[in-house]
Amino acid sequence: MYKLVGEERFLLWAVCSIQLQVLCGNGGEKLLLLAEGLLKKHVASHGLHEPEALIVYFSILEQQAKYGDALDILGGKLGSLLMIEVDKLRIQGKLLARAGDYAAAANVYQKILELCGDDWEAFLHYLGCLFEDESSWASETINSPINPPKYVECKLTHLTDEVFNSCVENASAFVQKLQAEASNDSLRNPCLAHLEIERRKCLFRKNNDDNLVEALLQYYSRFGHLACFTSDVEAFLQVLPPEKKMEFLDKLMKNSNSLSVVPTRALGQSITLLKTQELIGNMFNLSVAELEGSAVQMAELYCTSLPLSKDLDPQESMHGEELLSIVCNVLVQLFWRTRDLGYFIEAIMVLEFGLTIRRYTFQYKILLLHLYSYFGALPLAYERYKSLDVKNILMETVSHHILPQMLASPLWADLSNLLKDYLKFMDDHFRESADLTFLAYRHRNYSKVIEFVQFKERLQHSNQYLVARVEAPILQLKQGADNIEEEESILESLKCGADFIELSNEIGSKSLTFNEDFQSRPWWTPTTEKNYLLGPFEGISYCPKENLTKEREENVRGFIERKSLLPRMIYLSIQSASVLYKDNSEINDSLADPKISTELKALLERYAKMLGFSLNDAIDVVVGVSRGLKSYEVFGSDVIDWLNFAVFFNAWSLNSHDSGRQGGERTPGSWHVVNSLLKNYILGKLRSMGPLIQSPQGDLPILVKLVTEPLAWHGLVIQACVRTCLPSGKKKKKSGSTDQSISLLSNAVRDAIQSLCSVLEEVAKWSQDQIKSPEDNKIDLLVSSLKRNGGAGKVFNILETLASSPNETELGDRISQALRSWSPVDVGRKIVTGQCRVLSEFWRICESKIKSLKTLKQQIALV
Amino acid sequence: MTTIRRFCCNDLLRFASVNLDHLTETFNMSFYMTYLARWPHYFHVAEGPGNRIMGYIMGKVEGQGESWHGHVTAVTVAPEYRRQQLAKKLMNLLEDISDKIDKAYFVDLFVRASNTPAIKMYEKLGYVIYRRVLRYYSGEEDGLDMRKALSRDVEKKSIIPLKRPVTPDELEYD
Repeated sequence: MYKLVGEERFLLWAVCSIQLQVLCGNGGEKLLLLAEGLLKKHVASHGLHEPEALIVYFSILEQQAKYGDALDILGGKLGSLLMIEVDKLRIQGKLLARAGDYAAAANVYQKILELCGDDWEAFLHYLGCLFEDESSWASETINSPINPPKYVECKLTHLTDEVFNSCVENASAFVQKLQAEASNDSLRNPCLAHLEIERRKCLFRKNNDDNLVEALLQYYSRFGHLACFTSDVEAFLQVLPPEKKMEFLDKLMKNSNSLSVVPTRALGQSITLLKTQELIGNMFNLSVAELEGSAVQMAELYCTSLPLSKDLDPQESMHGEELLSIVCNVLVQLFWRTRDLGYFIEAIMVLEFGLTIRRYTFQYKILLLHLYSYFGALPLAYERYKSLDVKNILMETVSHHILPQMLASPLWADLSNLLKDYLKFMDDHFRESADLTFLAYRHRNYSKVIEFVQFKERLQHSNQYLVARVEAPILQLKQGADNIEEEESILESLKCGADFIELSNEIGSKSLTFNEDFQSRPWWTPTTEKNYLLGPFEGISYCPKENLTKEREENVRGFIERKSLLPRMIYLSIQSASVLYKDNSEINDSLADPKISTELKALLERYAKMLGFSLNDAIDVVVGVSRGLKSYEVFGSDVIDWLNFAVFFNAWSLNSHDSGRQGGERTPGSWHVVNSLLKNYILGKLRSMGPLIQSPQGDLPILVKLVTEPLAWHGLVIQACVRTCLPSGKKKKKSGSTDQSISLLSNAVRDAIQSLCSVLEEVAKWSQDQIKSPEDNKIDLLVSSLKRNGGAGKVFNILETLASSPNETELGDRISQALRSWSPVDVGRKIVTGQCRVLSEFWRICESKIKSLKTLKQQIALV
Repeated sequence: MTTIRRFCCNDLLRFASVNLDHLTETFNMSFYMTYLARWPHYFHVAEGPGNRIMGYIMGKVEGQGESWHGHVTAVTVAPEYRRQQLAKKLMNLLEDISDKIDKAYFVDLFVRASNTPAIKMYEKLGYVIYRRVLRYYSGEEDGLDMRKALSRDVEKKSIIPLKRPVTPDELEYD
């Protein structure tokens, strides 16, 4: 097309294609040279008309490190295509810096700052140029974290004292000038610039902490009332040693006597003090009494500040709203320390109280979602999640709040919707992406063409997307596990698990992206894998927050690698159990397909390897544990995987010639291993578990997993065996050895059915007992935990007092009415109902399995 | 302390703290990407220290003749960065682009008739209620079409309020 009509857009199609090819790692310099040549020739003959074409031209040159050429073009006639002066300066500054001309680049960034005094990024680049620090321009790759650490990396070691001092002097003088010229008193940039200079002095000399503390105090005196104060200063606090952080906090506390006279400002300053304590991690150093005192003070402050919001529109954030989040954080910590459930209930009540007054506060909803999840009231957690209206791209960044808990829950219908919506969103985008990319091209926004393709790639590599792709079919398999025909048709639709094997093979070398936004997660569960409340009380490194990306990456890879073997292993296990084993002499007559046995063995070997063992050693482990020679503790946190392994090992043993190594006990031996492993482990768990209402979290999620995964897969093997044993009119008369095989197998199957039934009946009874226990007693238990003498309940009482007699003149109509509608008993009832629903769903699953097993029992009795 | 720069795709993965607010709509992907593909110079994000998203504005330019105008599709600020005049900064930027680069006659926007705080803010920024659009929001709530004249509309003809409300199907542009 370009040859025919010579239009710029056709040339840019070729150039963009080349650039994408290079970015995807296919080809290199030569292709870029070709693109540059094409552009150069076109510019000579036709010039350039679109600013976006020029941007692409620059990026082609940049990719080849031809910064000088790009600068020449920018300074020439084509540069006038960029109509916004600051945009042009930004490109110029970046090119000069990358070319190593830091002095000139610093001048350009100065100009930018003179035009936009509040531009923080420009200031960081300006400093980067002064200190000749190239790390300022490090480019991002596809799997760079989406929320980079707040800490700004900088290299200073190459500077002599003299050069460093002179740079600092220049920077300080410039910042002072900016400050003097700033017409707007509310500009934070010059003050933060001053902080950044002091931070770099700390990093360079290591003896500048006092100056940094002083600068932080000054910043507080100007901007301490702003809600963003703590996130503004987080990166600066990180360079201070713990004792200096405390010194800063002490000085701030002394300031608390001289708060602003403007009430809303004074409230903001007080909240900042509390948030700074949280940020520094000081809350974890306080005693239980101090923490309680602090929570009480905050609750009182919240109540006395309510009149400030009297005239606000209900849709506007209220003054002091953050206080209840901090109170919740403190109460959860008190629960962690004392294990007094009252504090936990109190944390829930505080947030529900806040939502009664203003139902839109999403921060409360997120905290509540996690509290309810931990308390086993998952339907309430899911309800709160739904009220956040998480849709479209937010599903990629926000669904981590609920997805992991739902995956371990019996709420299959809700989980199915969650997974379906998410996968639909992602797959729709992948489908539409090409059209949208073309739209960008048609509108001559060529840089967006490249961006769209890279963005699609980022989403395709999303760890969460890959997990969901594996979990969705596994959920289907769990749902269909009580009916082998249904399960087989599901497996058929999954190509018998073949695609997932491919995913498992690829995952080790695939780059993964982590797009989840963890910033809004509560302190006690900073990532999906971590929940401090599950362990004993310990100190937490809060500033900086832990960076667990590396650890997560390994976990996710291992998880996907293991889990994506499941559909195929289930399929092969059913196949293996669907034919009768005969000894070697009759193997030619057997219905067995040796490929099945070989493939299943290979997968068992892989599975065992992922658990850290060879196949034989892994078999020894499960046999050892089943015979009581080894403790269940050897399974560590991989207990579900180990039990799955035992189930698939048994299925393979049914049809394998080389599985009889366990003392010649072949089939009955492996049946016994699985039966006793499942029985002992599940019943052991059950006996150690208290009622849900008194013991949050507990082992319910693992119990659900045990029943819906290894036990369910074992149930499928049993179903396949029963089908095999049943007489079929079409088959020819069985030989004597077949009769013997059938008899052996049917005995083993009978025992297995009996064993599973007895386990499930106990689990169902445990659930039913809790469901049936009177609702009012449970509510009383919750509410009374807040009314004991000593311990939890002090904050709750403050809120109750406010709600019992609201001062309408002070608080206005809306807040007073909301206060009057507050009912802690209703909250208690919701919790109890939520827990019951989880138990009912679990009971239903157990009952369905019992029913299916009883039918099998009747069938096998006929053999 | 704000860096205002063009919005890019990766920002969609970073704006949760802004969009979880109940008044901020999270549109489908093709909506955002169509804006990025067609009007990237009308889609800006404000970033604070630590690369935190403070807020963003998305808009477009469309119309013919004297109806050639800039349109604010969404402007929003994260709760922790409110009451710092950030929305004003973002609006001024869009108005500047409409005025100086695209030479539009006016800028307009739609707001829920019940969203009093937002209406007050737009009025402070110089917008007037041009007309009421009946049941504009999901066929339920009325919308207000607010406008601000730009330098090209010397006589400020574009902002003379209409006397009667209109229905959504009477709108020239969505």
